[in-house]
Amino acid sequence: MLRFCQLVILVQLLLTKTYAQQEEPLILDDSVSFDAELAIDDDIFGNVFDEDTSSTTSSWFEDFTVRVSQQFFGQVNNHSVEPLPGFVFPREAEMENNRLGINIRYQNAFSPGWLLQASGQIRSYWKDDYEYEANGERIDMDYRVNELFLQRSFDQHSIKFGRQTVVWGETVGNSVLDVINHFEFRDLSIIDIEDARLNQWMVVWDYFGDSGQFSTFINLYPEFNPAPVRGSPFFFEPAFNITDYDRDDNPFFEIGTQYRLSFEGSDISFMAAYLVENQLRYEDPVTGIGDAVARKNDFVLLGFSANRAIGKLLLNFDFAYSHNVLADSFSFPGTSSLATPLDLKKNQVGTSFGFEYAVSNEQSVSLGIQAQKLLDEDEGLLPGQQLINDGVFGSWLVRYSNNLMNGDLVLSSTLQGGLDANSFFAMLDANYTISDNWAINAQIVSITANNSTPLLFFDEDVRLGATITYSF
Amino acid sequence: MKLKSTLGIIGTALLVTFFPHASGQELTGFEIMKRSDDAVRSTNDSSFNRMQLSSCKFGVTQSRITCAERARVKSLESVAKNYGPELKDTKSVTITLEPAAERGIGMLSFAYDDSERDNETWLYLSALGRVKRIAAGNSEEETEPASLFGSEFTTEDTDTGKLEEYTINLLGETTQAGRDVWQIEMIPNAERARKTRYSRTVHYIDKERFVALRSEMYDQYEREVKRLMASRVELVNDIWMARSLTMMNLVTNRLSNMAFVEIYTDLNIEDEFLTQRTLTDAAYRETELEKLRSQLN
Repeated sequence: MLRFCQLVILVQLLLTKTYAQQEEPLILDDSVSFDAELAIDDDIFGNVFDEDTSSTTSSWFEDFTVRVSQQFFGQVNNHSVEPLPGFVFPREAEMENNRLGINIRYQNAFSPGWLLQASGQIRSYWKDDYEYEANGERIDMDYRVNELFLQRSFDQHSIKFGRQTVVWGETVGNSVLDVINHFEFRDLSIIDIEDARLNQWMVVWDYFGDSGQFSTFINLYPEFNPAPVRGSPFFFEPAFNITDYDRDDNPFFEIGTQYRLSFEGSDISFMAAYLVENQLRYEDPVTGIGDAVARKNDFVLLGFSANRAIGKLLLNFDFAYSHNVLADSFSFPGTSSLATPLDLKKNQVGTSFGFEYAVSNEQSVSLGIQAQKLLDEDEGLLPGQQLINDGVFGSWLVRYSNNLMNGDLVLSSTLQGGLDANSFFAMLDANYTISDNWAINAQIVSITANNSTPLLFFDEDVRLGATITYSF
Repeated sequence: MKLKSTLGIIGTALLVTFFPHASGQELTGFEIMKRSDDAVRSTNDSSFNRMQLSSCKFGVTQSRITCAERARVKSLESVAKNYGPELKDTKSVTITLEPAAERGIGMLSFAYDDSERDNETWLYLSALGRVKRIAAGNSEEETEPASLFGSEFTTEDTDTGKLEEYTINLLGETTQAGRDVWQIEMIPNAERARKTRYSRTVHYIDKERFVALRSEMYDQYEREVKRLMASRVELVNDIWMARSLTMMNLVTNRLSNMAFVEIYTDLNIEDEFLTQRTLTDAAYRETELEKLRSQLN
């Protein structure tokens, strides 16, 4: 961490020095040719005026956006953790991610009022990647369809059918209302929820009225957070087989609606939904052997969100009331609980709130706090029983970014932790845009945790990563 | 991101154009700039622009200015319409077409002339999955000038109006690019000086077409720090416009060229197009853009 901070400071010093060296303006006298026909070679600007735009026929390829990236990411701090006295687990430095990714996005408004949109990714896992090792030290590949929907818009209506995302809430990164889509935090190179959100098969109907927007969705095939991938940092060998939810005998769906209004300086929304929690709850097999029993957690959500812009300050607020939720549903993303949970349904209130502030044209900072609490939490508990989520629980998130070099270099940091102060993530990120096609990213992630949280196994982990990306 | 919110008006703000005036009429520097401001505002109304913004480090070789590296290119499409009693408020939508890494980013902006009202900006990124309000403030009143889309153009360079905050002097007459021009100096007053990076600017206004063919920006040490050059002056909808503008930053040795590939005004733009729907509903947006394009043919 210290070394990375030094690197950041060094980069900033170099930039300062560069500017300092150029503080004397270039003298351009009138002998320098720069007349009305532009002495600059026209071709460096792509002869933009030469093309007859009115008759340009669009190529089918123009509907595609492709991003190719190679990522290296690994844990670099040799240390050990001791979850229980005498049980010491070594944590050695190792490469975790060495993978090539291809992301493809397609968007085509093929006819008036119609749109087809799709996106997907292909990953190839090279030597030393955890997926390579989990595959018997052979190169492994996988692919995934992210978006795939058909949209029809007419009059004040829009209907989208297919795999898509529905995002509710105003708070950046940790809204209590951002619970429609499921997530996959596959490894620690992904800590932003925007990068972890997965699409689902839905029908979304939007009505754009004069006095507000109604947006209603039906999720025809609710999915759950995927179990950790074997070999990933989050993977642990469960005591029982983890299986998918058996939906054959119990078909189900999700439905919800949001009404959104905009005023000068503010947007507000009201929501209501019948949802199934994204994280399955696993219970021990009835016989004590065999597969764990996957159990879904359906509940009713009522929500409200609002923002208020005051100059360069934007205030965000979300409120959620959940009716009939399972009291013990393990909330750490990407993992599953095999503890013996309590079979209690309760009501829960939650809020997330915070602010975003544009410090300057180049710098911004945001804070988000999420807090949830089960109502009547002691009701139904037997003597000696305790809920996993007892009292107020939640998280906080701080983000800061600084754009340098007209935005070519973006330095950012993310800090997040639990309200119980048992864990703390810190990420520093530097993204440099080399050209219109090439970009390079470097990041460092540090975790601190105590033995009150399963994150203890990542305590003192320091991860370094770099990704080079080519887009076209 | 507030930088981008002004895109809807830069389509014309930098053009500094005039309607032809009666020949022989004596104008003061203020009158020239006032008429310029009115013309700029009128050209902004109900407009559709497609522009390319190219930036590079430049050098001078054999008295010619050349890019010393491959230019970075952004391609943008924007639709704008004026509102309010005097049509001084502007609503605009901007969509990024290129580069690929930024393709599809949409921005909706409401810019209010009243300094008591904060400008409003909403952003749509596919990664966010929703429309998001941006804390923008009033870019003219509260924040220092900032780069526009990472280019050498700044929000200050796109600013219109506020002429009363300047002392405007008609320095004389000369020629620029073979055309007769007025040389007009603008010096900010104390209030404006706190918001500007320039101690003064000198514009070279075409006497016949009333287009700024060249502008020089000076810092507090009287050094020329930026120079704007205009070319491809064409008559569009009875208004002379410079379709190519190049801003040279003489401190960083970088330049940006803003090329108005397509610029159309006085179109019939539905109010509904300048709403958040345009950001999220791509099918609707593309359909409406096609309707706009059909008005051009």
